[in-house]
Amino acid sequence: MWRYTIKRLIQGVVTVWFIATATFLAMHAVPGDPMSGDRAVTPEIRKNLEAKYGLDKPLAQQYVIYLGNLARGDFGISFTQQNREVNDIIREHFPVSATLGILAIVFASLGGILWGALTALYRNKLPDILIMFFVILGISVPSFVFAALGQLALVKLNDFLGFSLLPVAGWGTVSHMLVPSLVLGLGTMAYLTRLMRSSMLEIINSDYLRTAKAKGLPATRIFTRHQLRNAILPVVTVLGPSIAGITTGSFVVESVFAIPGLGRYFVQAVQQLDYTVIMGTTVFFGSFLVLMVILVDLLYGFIDPRVRLE
Amino acid sequence: MTVVQTQDVGEGSPLLEVDDLRVEFDTYGGSVKAVRGVSFSVAAGKTLAIVGESGCGKSVTVQSLMGLTPMPPGRITSGRARLRGVDILGRKEIDGREIRGREIGMIFQDPMTSLNPTMTIGRQIAETLEVHRGWSRKRALDRAVELLDMVRIPEATQRANQYPFEFSGGMLQRAMIAMAIACEPAILIADEPTTALDVTIQAQVLDLLSDLQRDSGTAIILITHDLGVVARMADDVVVMYAGQVAERGSVEDVFYRSAHPYMLGLRAAMPSSTSDRAHRLLPIEGSPPDLFSPPTGCAYAARCPHAMRICSTRDPAPSDLGNGHLARCWLHSENAPRVEALDYGAGRPASGLTSGLPA
Repeated sequence: MWRYTIKRLIQGVVTVWFIATATFLAMHAVPGDPMSGDRAVTPEIRKNLEAKYGLDKPLAQQYVIYLGNLARGDFGISFTQQNREVNDIIREHFPVSATLGILAIVFASLGGILWGALTALYRNKLPDILIMFFVILGISVPSFVFAALGQLALVKLNDFLGFSLLPVAGWGTVSHMLVPSLVLGLGTMAYLTRLMRSSMLEIINSDYLRTAKAKGLPATRIFTRHQLRNAILPVVTVLGPSIAGITTGSFVVESVFAIPGLGRYFVQAVQQLDYTVIMGTTVFFGSFLVLMVILVDLLYGFIDPRVRLE
Repeated sequence: MTVVQTQDVGEGSPLLEVDDLRVEFDTYGGSVKAVRGVSFSVAAGKTLAIVGESGCGKSVTVQSLMGLTPMPPGRITSGRARLRGVDILGRKEIDGREIRGREIGMIFQDPMTSLNPTMTIGRQIAETLEVHRGWSRKRALDRAVELLDMVRIPEATQRANQYPFEFSGGMLQRAMIAMAIACEPAILIADEPTTALDVTIQAQVLDLLSDLQRDSGTAIILITHDLGVVARMADDVVVMYAGQVAERGSVEDVFYRSAHPYMLGLRAAMPSSTSDRAHRLLPIEGSPPDLFSPPTGCAYAARCPHAMRICSTRDPAPSDLGNGHLARCWLHSENAPRVEALDYGAGRPASGLTSGLPA
């Protein structure tokens, strides 16, 4: 198990290095640079600025400096925001994104498992048909539509009640978090519901469920001990990639609900070609995802004994 | 097993009696009559073998007894099954004891897929005891280790904590047996227990079953299509064809005084141990009838070398050949013509094959 963990961690570091390199090269391949903004800059100022940020050095040298800084955990300073270190931006805004993301994942996986199990239990009956209808909606409607609809629903609700039950936008309290995380988790929840349903149905016809029945176990015990645990396995497998989906989706949801998360800064930085912020946030998000996928894989080994020995 | 199961069944009355069981499955194409009036009985401590080719209704018959046939689409349209005189069809328990797992234990064909992959072997065995006996986790697990030891799994204590993927096929089947006998059931149903195992392991598993039966007095219903297994294990035999009992009786009667042409055909199709090239296997030509619409006459008539005119128009009633030996065939009717030596392949001792037919 330890060897497996260490192996996965080393793989993770290689992946992060790859992400860092790809981002670096992509950044410099894009036409323009942080200095070519709206304001005209004289050649002298441009030269001085380039010298200050090290942009006049050859690309290979910049790359080495960049990797060296990365290894020390230093993402540099922002080009466009005065006196702001990328580390500060991340430190300040990542916890907001992370809270939103974690809530969304919890909501998506609990909902997915619950709805999936329900549809399988009521296969081809009304609850199944109803839930699967919403699942198709959840999968096909993009999150910005849900975000707008969610916000609209909140406005109408507060209007109807005459007081503000849940805030329409912003961040700070639990009531701020509920609707955005719901919206953010919706697509993933729909996807997990479908997955859970099919794996439940597969297990209903499995030989070991027949054995469990032949042993005379009560239906609830068969469901919890034999069916649910085995049905969750495929759901756990896709949790890693789902976290990726939710983090990327959070950029949109954050901007609709005016949530001061990292996503907003990322989008802003891309628009302004703020090299250090783009690279810093990308590498940070990348490493976070890699770590999550590794954690999920280790969790999988914990649930499925067959994976542990390998 | 330490406790010998005592059956409160009087002399002569069987432990399990199945009478005219009929099971149908509703499908889009119509209803499949999978079991069409099957009757047999099992005596305490004896082994009944149910033989027949794939799709003849063997498994459906026993799974209906256990309530394991999915309903719908399955339907038991008629028939009774009585355990110690009490009807069990459609019931979960008799006299406060669950039928499944408690009164009847069951093992299945493919041990590799018949155990829960994410639960230790010990826990899966112990579970039965916790549910049926209300034992504590600890006590049930201790007993599970004893049971594993009883089915000859070495280092049972360590093995109990392992998962199914760490066991070989033969060991899994033995673990399945341990699970099925955990509550000392009156009947153990083994649905093709050795089909998925290789030959040397088959022998071990069969030996284990006979030994357990000798020690505990459990009755065994053994489903198989291997006549070698039947000859080795069974006291009584039920030969099924197209959802009906073609022939039934003691193993001696069915094997040495075979009375139904289907059984004769099966025996001619059996490989023999003598490596003589003249010994050709004689397959039964054709295939079983479609059970969506079973033929009006005898189901075997189309494949039967002795078929008469009446065979394709009227279904024969079982003829009693004495000593509980029944055959569902017109040849045993009083008006049937005398059939002389049947030629079931050159080099076969013809005498044994025909002796059951009226000479």
